[in-house]
Amino acid sequence: MATASSSSSSGMVTERRGIPGAQFVEDVQTYLTQAGLDVNSALSFLQERLQQYKLVEMKLQAQQRDLQAKIPDIEKCLDVVATLQAKKGTGEALITDFEVSEGIYSRASIEDTDSVCLWLGANVMLEYSCEEATGLLRRNLDNAKASLEVLLADLQFLRDQVTITQVTIARVYNWDVHQRRLRQASPKDS
Amino acid sequence: MQQGGGSETEVTWEDQQNINKFGRLNNRFHELQDEIKFAKESNENLEDASNELILTDEEVVRFQIGEVFAHVPKEEVESRIEEMKEVTSKNLEKLEEEKESILAQMAELKQILYGKFKDSINLEED
Repeated sequence: MATASSSSSSGMVTERRGIPGAQFVEDVQTYLTQAGLDVNSALSFLQERLQQYKLVEMKLQAQQRDLQAKIPDIEKCLDVVATLQAKKGTGEALITDFEVSEGIYSRASIEDTDSVCLWLGANVMLEYSCEEATGLLRRNLDNAKASLEVLLADLQFLRDQVTITQVTIARVYNWDVHQRRLRQASPKDS
Repeated sequence: MQQGGGSETEVTWEDQQNINKFGRLNNRFHELQDEIKFAKESNENLEDASNELILTDEEVVRFQIGEVFAHVPKEEVESRIEEMKEVTSKNLEKLEEEKESILAQMAELKQILYGKFKDSINLEED
């Protein structure tokens, strides 16, 4: 599903994971003639593209925030399991204060244990041995970090396309202004 | 980011790539500023925590692990906090270095782009 289709001669990627690439315009006149568009249609097409990019950007940023919240959570769980494992050899119980409700804490004495229960979501909690739990949590952490990396690369690609589109809009507009000035300067139709 | 007055300066693919790179660096710069602020706060909190530790005469300290507060002997808490302080300082150093490098690259790109486009381009923060 992750396609980065082959580039054109200007070294551009034409799309990435469903996000269309913005076409780089070498020359505004050629672009308008090839697309068969007048200036206003071209401008509104580009503006629409820009809006679509913004929508995708918001979606990706929401996903990014989710992942960035998930990663410290998994790290905290790993911490707790590691602490339990460290206490195992000593034979002492681990005493902890945990939150029962907002502002109300209770004390628990955790004896030597070989297993922990992990909350998997969807009202499901499974019991694992400490080693299995650590393995599972590490895998989840690696997956989350890998997903985040891919997401950040997607966002970078997206921002580049936004920049290219903004520059193209400015150039088409400037070209139009320039053409109008030329037409005003010479009384003949160009 | 772009303003034009109907000028005829051509924008090449290389220029576009420079502009894109500047945009990316600028975004990363803002992210870094937030991350640095967060790391500095963490550092301060750890400093405060270790100062409090020195003042307390309790033998057992409630140390937060995950979502619970475990009863941990004072020495262990001291060494844990020292470890955490080291990790955060190293991280902060790395972030500051990245920030410097980004500022340098952005300054370079500004020179190149202003050189070619002069008034037609605006690369300042609004």
